[in-house]
Amino acid sequence: MGDVFTLDLARATIRLATPILLPALAGMLSDRAGVLNLALEGMMLLGAFLSIVAAFWLKSTYLGVLVGMASGGLLGAFFFYLYKRYKVDLVVLAIALNLFIQEMTVFALRTLFGNVGSWSDPSIRQLPELRLPLIADVPVVGPLLSGYNAIVYFSWLAVVAFHLVLFRTRFGRHLRAVGESQAAAEAVGIDVSRVKLFALVMGGALAALGGAFLSVGHLTSFTRNISNGRGWIGLSAALFGFDYPVGVFLASMVFGGADALAIKLQATTQIPSSLVQFFPNVFTILALVLVALRIRGGEYFARLGFRRRLSAETAAEAKRGSGRESGR
Amino acid sequence: MKRSAVWKDRLLTSVLAVVAGLVVSGAYIALTGKDPFKAYFELFKAGFGFESLTRNGLFQTFQLSTSLILTGLAAVVAMKSGIFSIGQEGQYLMGATVAAWLGSSVHLPYVIHPAAVIACSMAAGAIYSFIPGWLKVKLGVNEIITSFLMNNMAVLLMTYIVNFPLRADKGSTAHSAIVDETAQLPVFFQGSKWGAGFILALAAVAIIHIYLKRTAPGYALRISGEALPFASYGGIRSARAVLCGMLISGALAGLAGAIEILGVYRRIMQGFSTGVGFDGLMVAILAKNSPIAVVVVAIFFAGIRLGAQIGLQASMSIPRELGGGIIATIILFVAAESLFLGFIETGRLKWRKALGVEGGRGE
Repeated sequence: MGDVFTLDLARATIRLATPILLPALAGMLSDRAGVLNLALEGMMLLGAFLSIVAAFWLKSTYLGVLVGMASGGLLGAFFFYLYKRYKVDLVVLAIALNLFIQEMTVFALRTLFGNVGSWSDPSIRQLPELRLPLIADVPVVGPLLSGYNAIVYFSWLAVVAFHLVLFRTRFGRHLRAVGESQAAAEAVGIDVSRVKLFALVMGGALAALGGAFLSVGHLTSFTRNISNGRGWIGLSAALFGFDYPVGVFLASMVFGGADALAIKLQATTQIPSSLVQFFPNVFTILALVLVALRIRGGEYFARLGFRRRLSAETAAEAKRGSGRESGR
Repeated sequence: MKRSAVWKDRLLTSVLAVVAGLVVSGAYIALTGKDPFKAYFELFKAGFGFESLTRNGLFQTFQLSTSLILTGLAAVVAMKSGIFSIGQEGQYLMGATVAAWLGSSVHLPYVIHPAAVIACSMAAGAIYSFIPGWLKVKLGVNEIITSFLMNNMAVLLMTYIVNFPLRADKGSTAHSAIVDETAQLPVFFQGSKWGAGFILALAAVAIIHIYLKRTAPGYALRISGEALPFASYGGIRSARAVLCGMLISGALAGLAGAIEILGVYRRIMQGFSTGVGFDGLMVAILAKNSPIAVVVVAIFFAGIRLGAQIGLQASMSIPRELGGGIIATIILFVAAESLFLGFIETGRLKWRKALGVEGGRGE
C-alpha cells in the first residue's frame, strides 16, 4: 500500500476532480439562485461533443472549447426561456434533455463520421499542458501544481472568482437572496429573472467546459456517454460543499481522489475496480445525509434559540409591565 | 373543473406532444438526407408490423414493452406518492440480479420456483427503492440525486457479482449460468420471447389501478403525494403512506427485472443495464401518471425503439439512436405542454364564441 499514495496519485486526483468541479460550481450557482438544474449531465455531454467536433473543424482546440462553452451557455438560456415563457416543469425538461443529448450525440457522430461508439481524429490537438512560471521551480509544490491544461487553472480561478462575487458584491448578495427566498427578494426589488438567467447560462457554460475537459483536455476523443454521470456527481458535490465555492472545491477533490484511487488500486492490487468505484457513491449518499442532518440541526438550534429569546423577551415585558403598574 | 375535462386535456396534450415530437424528429431524418416519410413507414412497419405468427415485429414489441410497462408503472406509483424517483433502473437491475442468482442456484419444482424467485426479486427492488424514499421523507435528502447514485451503485454491484461470485465460465463477456428450466417463464409462441411476463405486467396494471382509485391505502398515498400538509391534518399517516408507495414502486421495477431474466435472457451478463428504467420514467411522464395509459405508451415506445433498430438502422442505415431521440423529443414537448394548453384554451374559447355560448368552460 505504501506506493499507492504518491505524487502521481495527487496529480491524478487534481485531473479527475476538474470535470467534477466545473459542473459542481454550476450546480452551486443554480442552488444559490433557487433553480434545480438537473440538465448539467446533458450540458456536459453537449460541451464534450461540440468541443471536439469544433476543434476538428476549426483546426483549433481553444476555439473548440469556446464553441463548447457557448453551446452550454445557450442551452442554459434556452432552459431559462422555456421556464420563464412557458412555465415548463424543469425536472421533466432536464431529464428529457439529458436523454436527448445522450442519444443525439451518438446519432450525430454516426451520421457525420460514420462511427459507432468512439471517435477521434489525429489532426485534433489535445489542450497543451502549461508550465507555471516561478511556481514550477519550487520543490514539492511545483511538481504538484504546475503542468495542467488551461481548463484546470480556469476552474481554480473560477472558485476564487465565485467566492468574491457571491460574498463581496451586490450582485452576489442578490443571487444568494433569491435562493433564500424568491418572494422576499422580489419584494425588495431584486430582478429575480436576471439572477436565474445568470445562474443557468453561467452554469451551462461551466458544465460544458467540464465536458470539453473530458473530450479535448484529457482524452482527445469522444465516446458515447463520455460524461458518465459526472454532471450528477457534480450536483452532489455542490450539496456536499454546502454551496460554498471553497467547500465545493474540496468536495470535488474528494470525489476526484476516490476516482484516482479506484484506478490506482485496480492497477496495483487484485481489488475489483467495480467495488472500488462503488464506494464513492455510498460516500456521496452519506455526505448528503450529513448535509441534511446539518440543515435539520441548524433549524432545531435556531428554533431553540428563538424560543429562548422569545421567553426572555416576554419575561422582560411582563416585568416592565408589572413595574409600570405598581408605579402608578 | 369537471373530471372528464381534465382527463380530455391530458389526453389531448399527450397526443399533441407525440405529433409534435414525430414532426420535429422527421426534421432530424431530413437533415441526414433521407426521406422522413419513408423512414417513418419503415420504422412503424418494423415495430408494429405483422407478417405471420412466427415473423413479426408486433410480438417482439409486446415482449419489449413488458418491462417498460412495469418500470413505467413503478415510476407512476413513486410520482403519485410525491417522490420523483429516477431509481427504477437500479431497482430493475437488483431484481434481475437476484433472479439470475436464485434461478440458477436454488432448485425447486415448476411454478413454485419462478414464484419464489419473483417474490425475492420484488423484495430486492422494494428495499432498494425504500432507501431514497426514507431519506427523502425523514431527512429531506433530494431523492433525484440519491436515486441516481443508487442506479450507479446497482450497475457496479451487478458488474461485480457477474464477474466474480456468479460467473459461469471464462468466456469473453462475463455472464451467469442459465437459470433452471423449472424457473423459466413460458412463451406464447415458439420463436418469440413474448410470454407469461406480459400477463403479469397487465395484472400489475389492473391491481395498481384499483389500488390507487378504489382503496383507502391508495387514497392515502395519492393525497400524501399531492398535498402532504392536508393529508397530515386529515389524520393520514403520510410518511407511512409515501414509504408504502416507494415499496410498491420498487417491487414493480424488481418484478420487471425478474421477468426479463426468467422470460427473456435466462441469464445475466455484463452490460445488462439497457436504460429500461429510464425509458419507464419517460413512459410514466407521457402517460401523465395514469396506470392504464402506461400500457399504451409502453407499447408505443417499445415499438419505436425496435423500429429504429430494425427498420431504420438495418434497412435505411439511419442510426438507431434516433429511436431514443424521438422519445426524448416527445418528452420535451410534454414538458412544454403549457404551450399546447394555451392553444387548446384559445381554440375552445373561439369555438364557444362561434357557437354563441357565453363565457368559458364550466368550472
